[in-house]
Amino acid sequence: MTFALDRRRFLMGSTALLGATALAPAAALAQENRLRLFFWGGQARADRTYAATDLYTKANPGTAFDGEFMAFSDYWTKLGTQVAGGNAPDILQMDYRYIVEYANRNAIAPLDDMVGKELDLSDFDQDQLDGGKVNGKLYGISLGANSVATIVNTAAFEEAGIAVPGPELSYADLPALAEKFNSANKRPGMKLWSDNSGVEPALDNWLRSKGKGLYGADGKPLFDENDLVEWFQLWADLRAAGVTVSPDDQALDATDAIENTMVTLGKATTTAANSNQLIAFQAVNKDPLTMIAYPRYKPGAGGGHYRKPSMFFSLGATSQKLSDGAKFINFFISDPDATKALGVERGIPCKKSTRDNIAPTLDAQSQIALNFVSNLGDLLGPLPPSPPANAGEVNKALKTKSQEVAFGSQSPQDAGPAFFKEVTEILSRK
Amino acid sequence: MTVHAANYRDAGRAVTPSAWSRMWSQNAPGYLFLLPWFIGFFGLTLGPMVSSLYLSFTNFDLLTSPEWVGAANYVRIFTADPKFAKSMQVTFFFVIFSVPLKLAFALGVALLLNRGMRGLPLYRAVFYLPSLLGASVAIAVLWRTLFAGDGLVNDFLANFGIQGPSWISNPRFSLWTLIVLAVWQFGSPMIIFLAGLRSIPQDMYEAASLEGAGKWRVFWKITLPMLTPVLFFNAIIQTIEGFKSFTPAFIISGGTGNPVNSTLFYTLYLYQEAFEFFRMGYASALAWILLIIVALFTGFSFLTSKYWVHYDD
Repeated sequence: MTFALDRRRFLMGSTALLGATALAPAAALAQENRLRLFFWGGQARADRTYAATDLYTKANPGTAFDGEFMAFSDYWTKLGTQVAGGNAPDILQMDYRYIVEYANRNAIAPLDDMVGKELDLSDFDQDQLDGGKVNGKLYGISLGANSVATIVNTAAFEEAGIAVPGPELSYADLPALAEKFNSANKRPGMKLWSDNSGVEPALDNWLRSKGKGLYGADGKPLFDENDLVEWFQLWADLRAAGVTVSPDDQALDATDAIENTMVTLGKATTTAANSNQLIAFQAVNKDPLTMIAYPRYKPGAGGGHYRKPSMFFSLGATSQKLSDGAKFINFFISDPDATKALGVERGIPCKKSTRDNIAPTLDAQSQIALNFVSNLGDLLGPLPPSPPANAGEVNKALKTKSQEVAFGSQSPQDAGPAFFKEVTEILSRK
Repeated sequence: MTVHAANYRDAGRAVTPSAWSRMWSQNAPGYLFLLPWFIGFFGLTLGPMVSSLYLSFTNFDLLTSPEWVGAANYVRIFTADPKFAKSMQVTFFFVIFSVPLKLAFALGVALLLNRGMRGLPLYRAVFYLPSLLGASVAIAVLWRTLFAGDGLVNDFLANFGIQGPSWISNPRFSLWTLIVLAVWQFGSPMIIFLAGLRSIPQDMYEAASLEGAGKWRVFWKITLPMLTPVLFFNAIIQTIEGFKSFTPAFIISGGTGNPVNSTLFYTLYLYQEAFEFFRMGYASALAWILLIIVALFTGFSFLTSKYWVHYDD
């Protein structure tokens, strides 16, 4: 990774220098305009991102990029350290989970003054724009919308002679579906569903479909102990009915890394994920994949899903190049060639003109993702407020608690109140 | 050595300016040679330690400056932190089982190798190899693959008709896979044992065999007592290593300490608090508690050592 990074820096630097020398010899002597760009993701995302920065450098000779990327969890450690050292990047990728924290601590810059100037947001989706606001001020430009989605191994369904379920699927349908799948017995050792009892977005979706949710605007839980008991019991029943994978198998998926998900390991026909991840899932799966919605709380109950800003670009508050950074973000979300290179890997673009521009060029998986997010129908609910501080820890704790129930060291009846108490403690902690 | 001697000679005299400058000119090269160590010690060890002690009395999330909270972090750790208790339990379990097993294994192999077999250097190197690789990420990844549900270990067990569980992702076995991994890295205590065995005077064994002592008797009455200084050294080093163990648990559990916190080593919990939840102050307090625990253990070992360690004098 270090090598790729260094080579990239070298290449970007040298291209910029070359361009500058060719066009204006004097400019090469002037101080080069270097923007530091920091994002999380894998190699596929990096390739697409660097294609866009190269295009920007070509269009704006004299501007070069120091790009750096890493995995999601490492990213926040590094970013936190850089911000603490007064050394934040000029342009940084931001997540819905953290934007409030970073904005409230003045680590990222408000962008309102640049709207209409550097930033052309005229045909930008309103819900995605609002997602980037904290206390009424704009701090992040959404790079794409996505939704939670169930990744499905279509080959496994076909072999068993079962149709891939549609958007009407509810949790109540799963046992019957699993019985059909298990009795066909085409793939011994494969179960119908991954055990999502420890997947926070699945709990969120289920609660929303039930008319509740995870957290309110005040950061307080919108659920209670009884909801949690019901949730753990739901999965205990599915486990007992042979719908889901064994706890041993599910625990192999410790970090939601795509390589260790139940669908990739061939343990289940489905895995809970996000719509923009289909491309990455397909890259490591031989069987053809598609995506469907998360199951409904009960037949007809909608509103569980929402179009989440999958990630933002924000500007470091200490950056000396705010205007250049904003110009780059604008280029990133609207330039016809750059957006084609980027595709829907970061989610469905938020500008209508961009969507229209890239739609004909998309590959099959991207097409599926675009259709899925555009046609959620009554499954679509409003965007929830961004989660409170420490929500990430709750996410972790849910996984551990779900394992306690799955391995049988705690009953759903005890786990519900115990987990609610844990959530309350975590949220109240500084 | 000469520097030291010169220093000693000067110590008795009245220190005049000229004496100072003479002392300096004599000692300067010594300090110059020590400089890299001084820089490392003050800049990378002592400095961070002092600031970590300060931070342990604050709330510090990296984004905003530290906020003094007195002993609040320590109070929470000891009164209201179930994960502290859990991670202590996991770590002690790991140390209590992995250290004696590892030492016994290392001693056993060292005794075998000490019988003067052909190709000893080769065996020594081969047995040492796991220790070189042991703490690395690659081995932890390999371990994960070996002990997964459809890993090599279960393929092997299947030959005997045994359907093994997924060892690493089952809370009843996951910690044991890490203990086995630790024991497998017996190389460095083995080498030290081997050196210790070599230094036991042969005449003792000769005398014993003349008296007609059996193998076990020789081992218990001569080898083991003569080896106690080395055993003591190994035990202390391995115990400290055990408390500090981090990489295998981090890799095998994906940094989570799961399943069901069964591999939540103390250092892993500390890491989570610091670098996932950004509670640097709290994590610093955890780090100091670990330091004190390790120091207590070591101190206790030294205090008891006079009753069971036999120095050759």
